[in-house]
Amino acid sequence: MFELLSRNEVYAIHMAAMEVLERTGILIQHDEALKILKEAGATIDQKKKVAHIPEYLVKETLRKTPSRHLFKAINPKYNILIGDGNSYFTNAFGAQSTYDLNTGQRRASTLRDLEEFTLLADYFPAVDYIKPNIIPQEVSQDILEQTMALSMFKSSEKHLSFLAVTQEGFRDVIEMAKLYAGGEEEFLRNPSIIDTGLNNVPPLKYTANIIDIALECAKYKIPFDISTGALASASGPVTLAGMVVQGVAENHAVLVLTELVGPGTPMIWGSCATIMDQRHGTASYGCPENGLIHAAFCQVAHYYGIPYYGAAGIVDSKVPDAQAAYENTMNVLTATLAGVDVVHDAVYGIVETGITASYEMFAISNEICGAIKRIAKGMKVTKETLAVDLIDRIGHESNYLTSDEGLDFTRKHLLEEYWIPSLTDRTSRPDWEGKGSKDMVLRAKEKIKKILETHKVSPLDKDVEAKMREIIKARAKKKP
Amino acid sequence: MSSSILEEMREAVIQGNKDKATSAAKKALEAKISPMDAITNGLAKGVREIGDKFGEGEVFLVELMAAAKAMKAGMSVLLPEIKASKSKIKSAGKVVIATVQGDIHSIGKDIVATMMEAHGFEVANLGEDVPIEVILKNVRDQKPDVLGLSSLITSSMPVQRKIIDELKAAGLRDKVKVIIGGAPTTEKWARDIGADGWAGDAVTAVSLAVRLLAKKPA
Repeated sequence: MFELLSRNEVYAIHMAAMEVLERTGILIQHDEALKILKEAGATIDQKKKVAHIPEYLVKETLRKTPSRHLFKAINPKYNILIGDGNSYFTNAFGAQSTYDLNTGQRRASTLRDLEEFTLLADYFPAVDYIKPNIIPQEVSQDILEQTMALSMFKSSEKHLSFLAVTQEGFRDVIEMAKLYAGGEEEFLRNPSIIDTGLNNVPPLKYTANIIDIALECAKYKIPFDISTGALASASGPVTLAGMVVQGVAENHAVLVLTELVGPGTPMIWGSCATIMDQRHGTASYGCPENGLIHAAFCQVAHYYGIPYYGAAGIVDSKVPDAQAAYENTMNVLTATLAGVDVVHDAVYGIVETGITASYEMFAISNEICGAIKRIAKGMKVTKETLAVDLIDRIGHESNYLTSDEGLDFTRKHLLEEYWIPSLTDRTSRPDWEGKGSKDMVLRAKEKIKKILETHKVSPLDKDVEAKMREIIKARAKKKP
Repeated sequence: MSSSILEEMREAVIQGNKDKATSAAKKALEAKISPMDAITNGLAKGVREIGDKFGEGEVFLVELMAAAKAMKAGMSVLLPEIKASKSKIKSAGKVVIATVQGDIHSIGKDIVATMMEAHGFEVANLGEDVPIEVILKNVRDQKPDVLGLSSLITSSMPVQRKIIDELKAAGLRDKVKVIIGGAPTTEKWARDIGADGWAGDAVTAVSLAVRLLAKKPA
């Protein structure tokens, strides 16, 4: 619905990115990766570990990159086809602190928070697949990825995306996913039952552990999102077009490598790029420039025929307030209208740019994202919906609520035309006052408590869970 | 005459004009202004002003960085004179700063280094992915007042702890204040690993260093 750039501008960005890849190249701290790229035709500066990647290599590997990815869920009703023209939403990623639901105090995030946020993500209809909303602080680093994975496997039936920090940690998660999928064979047939996400180190750098995990994904054809994390005016140019150019070059380096190693690996090619606030030296995601970056990036991805993944709903506000709501709305809406295939961080249960989780914000953002999905659905125009015959029969004297024919028509189409809010107040004043004059944050809190008390997911098989725990135990033992 | 040269130096820093800072510093030496006076009442005055304004959200980070670079340019003219005259610069303290092993993020750490320099600290920026033994060697040899350790990814955070442990083992821990930072780190993490402080941004890092050194027994 929203096209920011002209065809010529998209092409200009492509040409510029190709020049950056060839001329400046990408620093990759991974000898095996450099060797693979060299054999495929890249020029390698061994001393600097920089790969200069020619355009034809990008074109060749783009041909091997799928344009649609079926993300499987343990409950098939939650399967989604990324690239089918819809915008799919994820929840937020990685809060280390949490506003306690009962006390309101800000404290370190726990494993229980991760379980609860995953359960809420399972419940909230705006969330299409689930990211780890919480990084629990009481879990030791050597078993962090595995422990988080178990907690998420237990708490949802939707498709799950996991934290991958180390190669060995992620290998354990893959072993757990095999159990989850119902055995190794089943997993090898459907590796897209899980996915993960990776960022680079801007400008134009990749560390060895990021590449290790990308290669692991390529081996199994596990989908992963690769997204530049550049900050305009700090680790990327202040000009938004230049930011996109740099990000495209950064992403393509990993796409080329991945498709060389594992042709057909689903790439969710994207961006977590945004601006640095020049007054405070902080990263700002709730800025309007963020929405523009995603709109442009998305057009470039679609020019390449691949789905686009944009982290577009992050808020800078420290609390779930008016600022948080406007930031979340503005950029999720902009991204969705621009046709972003996966709006990551859309249903945003975090405040403070990814640092502090907020239960209340999660419910509020689910409401915002529900409304945005309604807008994305657009307006259905057919002979039936134009309703000319009905308008004629109802005429001037009757209406659409009291006449039989009008009432039938309204009932028939109501749910396909209307989005039904779950948290928004549209009551009359006496009604609102009668129910305690509650603002949205308070209503959100009450709603969350109710969901946590009542929402259940089908439990993980006892044997599967026990075997997953053994994997975690074995890793913990290996620690010196 | 001398006051107008000092004013020119202050102005050059505020404008982030390296050439002007260099030429004004040369003028100051020609006019026999003492290099210490030129720093305190010229260059440093400008940096303080712009630093304060940045703290108030009145100027942009780019302007602060440009001011710091202009100050450095002016200093490079004055420093040889100071060394020749054997007088000592009044330093707010000595800082060794690095991004730890396994992590190649540089920008946040570099901003902290620049801010520290602008506030009168003598800074040795060791760079990124710095091996633990190199950090230990620098603490031993340079005897800094403050050691700043940056970590931008969760997988490199344990290295911060390891460095502190190794400082203890080498008997160096009580010789230096260790401050840590970087996006995934927290105040709690700093306490857990036995650091002296944590800062979430460059402005806080500077005030933290000032506070820690003020507490330090003489």
